[in-house]
Amino acid sequence: MSFLEVFQYTRQDSIIHRLDPRAKLFMAIVSAIVSLIFLEILPLVIILVILIPLLVAAKSLKRWLRSMKGLSILLAFILVFNTLLSPAPNPLNHSIALTLRLIALMTSFSLFFLTVHPDELSQALIQMRVRFEFAFAMSMAMRYVPTLAQEAYAIMDAQKARGVELDKGNPLKRIRNIVPIIVPLIIVSIRRALSIAESMESRGFGASPHRTYLNRLSFKKRDWAVVFISLLILLMTIYIRLFIPLQVWSLPF
Amino acid sequence: MPLIEFQDFSFKYYGADFLALKKVNLTINEGEYVIITGPSGCGKTTLCRTINGLVPQFHRGYIAGNVIVDGMNTREHTVAEMATIAGLVFQQPENQLVTLNVEKEIAFGPENLGVDPVEVRRRVEELISLLDLEHLRDKHPHEMSGGEQQRVAIASTLALKPKILVADEPTSNLDPKSAELILDIISKLNKRDMTVILVEHRLDLVSKDASRIVLMDRGRIVADGSPREILVMDLCQEIGVGVPKATLVYKSLRKRGIDLESVPLTGEELANLVKEAA
Repeated sequence: MSFLEVFQYTRQDSIIHRLDPRAKLFMAIVSAIVSLIFLEILPLVIILVILIPLLVAAKSLKRWLRSMKGLSILLAFILVFNTLLSPAPNPLNHSIALTLRLIALMTSFSLFFLTVHPDELSQALIQMRVRFEFAFAMSMAMRYVPTLAQEAYAIMDAQKARGVELDKGNPLKRIRNIVPIIVPLIIVSIRRALSIAESMESRGFGASPHRTYLNRLSFKKRDWAVVFISLLILLMTIYIRLFIPLQVWSLPF
Repeated sequence: MPLIEFQDFSFKYYGADFLALKKVNLTINEGEYVIITGPSGCGKTTLCRTINGLVPQFHRGYIAGNVIVDGMNTREHTVAEMATIAGLVFQQPENQLVTLNVEKEIAFGPENLGVDPVEVRRRVEELISLLDLEHLRDKHPHEMSGGEQQRVAIASTLALKPKILVADEPTSNLDPKSAELILDIISKLNKRDMTVILVEHRLDLVSKDASRIVLMDRGRIVADGSPREILVMDLCQEIGVGVPKATLVYKSLRKRGIDLESVPLTGEELANLVKEAA
């Protein structure tokens, strides 16, 4: 699952990291839309040529390359099967474009998730009028994932010590083996949830209808610039798509 | 007027078949450092929950009697209203940390109550320097040790500026060194005029700083007085309280006819008393 790394926040200090998450979200959506508008090789390559320097600016190129390596099997799969099975007039061309589109889509969103801290994300959601409770639930999920994972390992060890053989037997038995892990995990989690609720309650969670925030996000000039440029690109590509007949830029096979 | 007053208070959790607290009468004044101790299941945790209104507002059940905290009856005020009066620190540090970094954690309480962001920032900075959390500022709770987590939990409780700090076995999951640090912080807070109520088993570490020990057993308060009075009682050993070693030595010396001038609570005190007597 190493290709998922590209959607994980990395602590860095870069121009891209400092941008407002809302601006970055807009940028990511625009570049995703643009990569969905075209299914020709050249425009998709152009999109990637624009996105990769942004990754470099975010100091995350290495991570991106590593993820792409992890993804390469899937990409090869798409390439081979589409070439063999596609009804398109020149299938190789079509499948290369599909592969590039997937890479472009992943890169657009990875640029967002790599550079937005979960806290910033929930703050952005709150300032986009999402209710605090929902945004907070999301950031809490992030908070407790590692804790739950640790607990799951502890339960696994405890059950192994009692003689449960987790990695033996046929697939059906292995699935049944999950039961002695999942049941205690659920019980422990419910208890934990109660104790977390107690602690949150004691600190006034949900008490005031006018909750304040320590760090509010504010749009700066550079954020407006990002939004403006993204919008311009979006309008331009829509115009090109609709009114300028594209030449056949495809490979000759 | 006392800060906390239990008036014949009894409580039974919904669905339980015994009373968690039985006719508890207790008054605690401002500035006291009260240690509550007793065997597990004796109602210490319920007592703590009662002080900030979690019982009966969050944990429902059968109630009799009243608890008045800073002039407010806990039956009539929400936990959030009580939050600026009594702050609770719980046993499990990781269940108290609900955000992704220390700054946010400390800010969580005041933000909930709608405190002005400038003031929130001021409190965050103050508590970070008071509890020495600078190096943890941006860390995820999962990257901290238990002792560090508990320090952050204390900071986030103090951010609401409560008059009373109630700590329910804050050290039970910590190694001895972190435990000592946490207990040290708590006794320093008491010296800065905070009323402290601490549930603790390691009496050898805390009884020298405390002004009072309350002994509980099966939902009742069975003894209440200064540490030196309580710890020499035979009752302590009967219900299984961890009496400090120095006090035990004092007791067995007395049994053999050697009466020291006062009751020692630490090894150092004992050594001095023995030197004087010799």
